[in-house]
Amino acid sequence: MRRNLLYPSSAQTISATRRDFLRGAIGTLSAASISSAALASQTASVLRPTQKTIVVTFGGGARDEETFAKDGQENIPNLLHTLLPQGTFFSHVVNAGILGHYVATASIVTGSYERFDNFIAQPPPNPTLFEYYRKGLRRPASDAWVIAPSNGFQRIGSSSHSSFGPDYGAGVILPKRLLAAALHNSKSLDADRLSYLLQDSYEMPLYQPLQTSIDHELHLDTLSSTLKLSVDEFLQHARSLDSADELSIFITKQLMKQHAPSLMMLTLHDMDIAHSGAYSLYIDAIQRADRLCAELWSMVQTDPEYKDRTTLYILPDFGRDGDTDPGGNGFQHHRTGGAMARTTWMLALGPHLRQNTIVDRPIQSIDLVPTIGSVLGFSTNSSGKPIRELL
Amino acid sequence: MTPAQLTPASFVSYSAPARAFAIEHLVLLQRLPLAVCPSFLQQIQNLHTSFPAEQEALRWQCTALQALPAEKYKQLTAPLSTLALTPALQSMDWVNDPAAFITELTAHLWSSGQLNLFRAAATSLFAAVPPRETTTHRTVFVVLGKDATIDPRKALRKLARNGITLTALKHETAWLDIRSTLQQRATDAPYASWYIDGGPPLPELTNSLLHAIAISYPGLSPLRERVLQRMQSTITSGSGGAEAMRTNLTSTSQQDVAAADITPDPILQRFYTELFTQSSGPQIFSTSFVQWTGRELARRAQPQTLLLRYTPRQAYHDLNELVTTTTPTLDAQGAFRDAEMGAYYNWIEMDRITTKGKLTFVAWIEDHPFAVILSPNAPTATTAATPMPLSEALHNFG
Repeated sequence: MRRNLLYPSSAQTISATRRDFLRGAIGTLSAASISSAALASQTASVLRPTQKTIVVTFGGGARDEETFAKDGQENIPNLLHTLLPQGTFFSHVVNAGILGHYVATASIVTGSYERFDNFIAQPPPNPTLFEYYRKGLRRPASDAWVIAPSNGFQRIGSSSHSSFGPDYGAGVILPKRLLAAALHNSKSLDADRLSYLLQDSYEMPLYQPLQTSIDHELHLDTLSSTLKLSVDEFLQHARSLDSADELSIFITKQLMKQHAPSLMMLTLHDMDIAHSGAYSLYIDAIQRADRLCAELWSMVQTDPEYKDRTTLYILPDFGRDGDTDPGGNGFQHHRTGGAMARTTWMLALGPHLRQNTIVDRPIQSIDLVPTIGSVLGFSTNSSGKPIRELL
Repeated sequence: MTPAQLTPASFVSYSAPARAFAIEHLVLLQRLPLAVCPSFLQQIQNLHTSFPAEQEALRWQCTALQALPAEKYKQLTAPLSTLALTPALQSMDWVNDPAAFITELTAHLWSSGQLNLFRAAATSLFAAVPPRETTTHRTVFVVLGKDATIDPRKALRKLARNGITLTALKHETAWLDIRSTLQQRATDAPYASWYIDGGPPLPELTNSLLHAIAISYPGLSPLRERVLQRMQSTITSGSGGAEAMRTNLTSTSQQDVAAADITPDPILQRFYTELFTQSSGPQIFSTSFVQWTGRELARRAQPQTLLLRYTPRQAYHDLNELVTTTTPTLDAQGAFRDAEMGAYYNWIEMDRITTKGKLTFVAWIEDHPFAVILSPNAPTATTAATPMPLSEALHNFG
């Protein structure tokens, strides 16, 4: 993010019509624009008070090229053929802020473009979605959670805003930290074998943070009191997993089972391996994220607490640099600030949303917070605007 | 201090050639906005360890900007002059430590929301520099896919859209044809011919490509391992992240990693060192190393002949293990997919520096009858299924 500013850049253009984006994607898809009349009929939907919301970000950034553009569609069969026909797809989502993962994720959850240093784990200055939600609807602490695999995301659950703060924030679970604590506690003989689940991305604020015994105790307490898992059960399950993102989905499932929270955010982060320059590993991670999103939606549909009352939003935090942008190195990074890196997509599924629908007009990633606020009935002070097609 | 206050005495700490260059272009440097002047100074500072092509490119750029009509120059630099820079930035010693200034400037542009403005303004300024038309014909071979299973329907598809795909190549003589083509097209100009290998270099190539500089992933492993030690110390410190890692690596010099053990040439010492300190990935994956080296050669040495060979890379585990493991298992299939994208990027980079119609680019899947040729004589997005050796294919399409 901090280099190569001065390479002269050719004009970087995102396809003028984002409808081309899904050309040839699925024959049955009706790429309908939503009219005002249609919107009016949608707003008649009545939301139940037990409405659940899950936000999934592809933290690590995924480009159109490897997802919904022509060459990328083979990587996302579940998103394309299973989830998209059930939801509303936004083909032009702009992130006009800082393209660093922590600060971009913070911007998504505050609905304001945050400007703090991406590489210092700190609470965002603007109130988060979780604080607006809990304070506005008087919800308990157990009703809002963030699952983020990356070290450095521990402050994402609440802001430093004087009117909000941790008392209204979401619980934050960092599955890798849980695993590290569990391994430390069990002195597991196969700890080395599980270390692949503790992978750090190049772009993390903190590698392998030193953990005190108090840290370990806190994490072990989360395991037992929040997730209702013994260390042995947790490790047993971890042994069957291939990646940190799979661990995050497992934690999500446990949370749903034990607490049925109404607001959750999950950051899938395996794909940030792209920073190593290994394209195959970046693709593997996108394919895994595609599969895990389908698993999550399936979990929702088979859980009585969530079935038919859950809205799922899936969006990358941003894209990555374009292949021909001379300031970057293609998919590897997101440092140029070019259009390809700033432009991505969002898929929304839920009982009150139109299905099989594509929206081409540009929206911004900071529009999500005021949208969820409008849908659930709490106010936000976001600089984004509610997305009318989702209301 | 502002650029307008620069004098010949400002460059007293620079090397003799750098000082001479700076003084020669003092009028331009004095007129540059502060947001870009240090970038020029950074290149000037490194002039004595820069490739001849880099030196020529910098001189061309400076001369072209200096020759712009005053009104045009003013118009192009006005947006850069209006960028709001903090007092802390303005008070930095950007003459003697331009790299530190650029790091801080970049962070400031992102956090202040001025990056897009900077990007657009810098693009316009450099677009005013006319491209250097040269008669140099460049020839690039990329060899990839060693030990991988190939799906001919998908292989090299990004390159195939821009060239002709050969599906019945008589590949038994391919290495011989590559070697003889490179021998014919190589010149004895310094740093003009290169052979980069992700695995052990092939003796039949190193022994016959006499003008080529041959480097390999295993050959540079002493440097790589010294850089990895520095990375490991950041990772295990418990207090550092990506920013600390980058600062640690970019401040690592060729002396810090004893690059003189590899080569006595100071230009190559810096180049080899920066392959590992100015990047992320080449420290752990040979495929990233080959791609990045090809990219940096295109941008810096601007080779006339180039052979890049991607080989199986170590299999993926977690970053911490990749940094410390010494006997990895290999992943040929993953490496092939990395290399397909790497080859595509290598073509983009070489095409960018080559005068239109002067680039022959061949990607061959090793030990397979499958190749793609991109050149002025190669029709795009076509397939040739006629059996032919690579030499004949190059005669017809190269």
